Amino acid sequence: MIKTLPYRIVSLAAGFGLALSCTAAKAPAALDMFVGAKKVVENQPVSACNAAAKSALDGVLQNSLALGGSTSGEWEGYAPAVTADGTTAVASIHCFPVGTGYVVEFTCAAQVPPNADSASALCAKLSAAFDAK
Amino acid sequence: MSLRRGVRVAGATLLFLSLVPAMVVLARVEMSAGIRYVSATGTADECSAKAKASLEAYLPGATESSPGSGEWMALGQNVVTGAPSSAATVRCYPLPKGYVATFICAVQLPANPFGAGPLCLDIAHKFYGGAITPLAAMPTPTPVPSGCATTSLVGTWVSDADPKLTLTMDLAGGLTDSDGVSGNWNLDGTSATLTYYGTHTLTLSADGKHIRGSGYNFTRKC
Repeated sequence: MIKTLPYRIVSLAAGFGLALSCTAAKAPAALDMFVGAKKVVENQPVSACNAAAKSALDGVLQNSLALGGSTSGEWEGYAPAVTADGTTAVASIHCFPVGTGYVVEFTCAAQVPPNADSASALCAKLSAAFDAK
Repeated sequence: MSLRRGVRVAGATLLFLSLVPAMVVLARVEMSAGIRYVSATGTADECSAKAKASLEAYLPGATESSPGSGEWMALGQNVVTGAPSSAATVRCYPLPKGYVATFICAVQLPANPFGAGPLCLDIAHKFYGGAITPLAAMPTPTPVPSGCATTSLVGTWVSDADPKLTLTMDLAGGLTDSDGVSGNWNLDGTSATLTYYGTHTLTLSADGKHIRGSGYNFTRKC
């Protein structure tokens, strides 16, 4: 016991030191916001924009919400909560009828870290998912 | 390293890391979208000018994504955390007659003192008119007391007996002497306690300029 106690203390201290080195280097979380793409789509109803917006948000962030009803053209999406306090990645897709088509805008925000994707990367994924619909 | 010691180090690491989440301040991102303003008159340039002005009423330094794009964004820096904790965009799109502007805001909570909704509502109302509700002020760093404050010992103190000996006392209650020896200070009314080569009780003078007692006499530079 007398012989092993110093070894145990050294092991514990080494473990705590290793753990501290893993956590202390983390950068402070910062809010990142990005003005994403704006696209004009001709000869398509705004309902097509609404459907693609919902699909893109559900696919990339897993949650979508139509603000003011599903025909308002205002969509918000948010990632599942990664902390007990809430989500760290959100996005908005805005559809607006213009002429015979519509204009669609993407806007994203993320807290980095812990979110792996920056707001810019998130918007790029959403834009690609929207086009793929 | 023996296998047993390796297992112990790994165990201690896991134990520590399991405690870390409880120590981290939880935070979340809140977004406000859905405010859209359609103007039947006006040009895209007018929309841009109003977008910049309305953003800068609440967040400094609005920038346009690319010149002439009509897409504006501004960030609010939280000086306490040292990182942005609020952001907003106003995007203008020209219509055959007039333009449409959309307002989207995001904040990091609890670092930011106000929510995304109130921020966006104020920016939008600044843009097209409406009731403005004052937002909670951004936190500011605690100012360093200046002069000979009687509520703090912060400052540089010079020994009356040996002018080469100085004590620099900081906001956090720490002190460092001219040789680099550190200690602590506390002030309760006019009773000062210095933990410096032992614990000493001194009395702060009414003008906040002198501390005396326990064989020490210091005068503050102020």
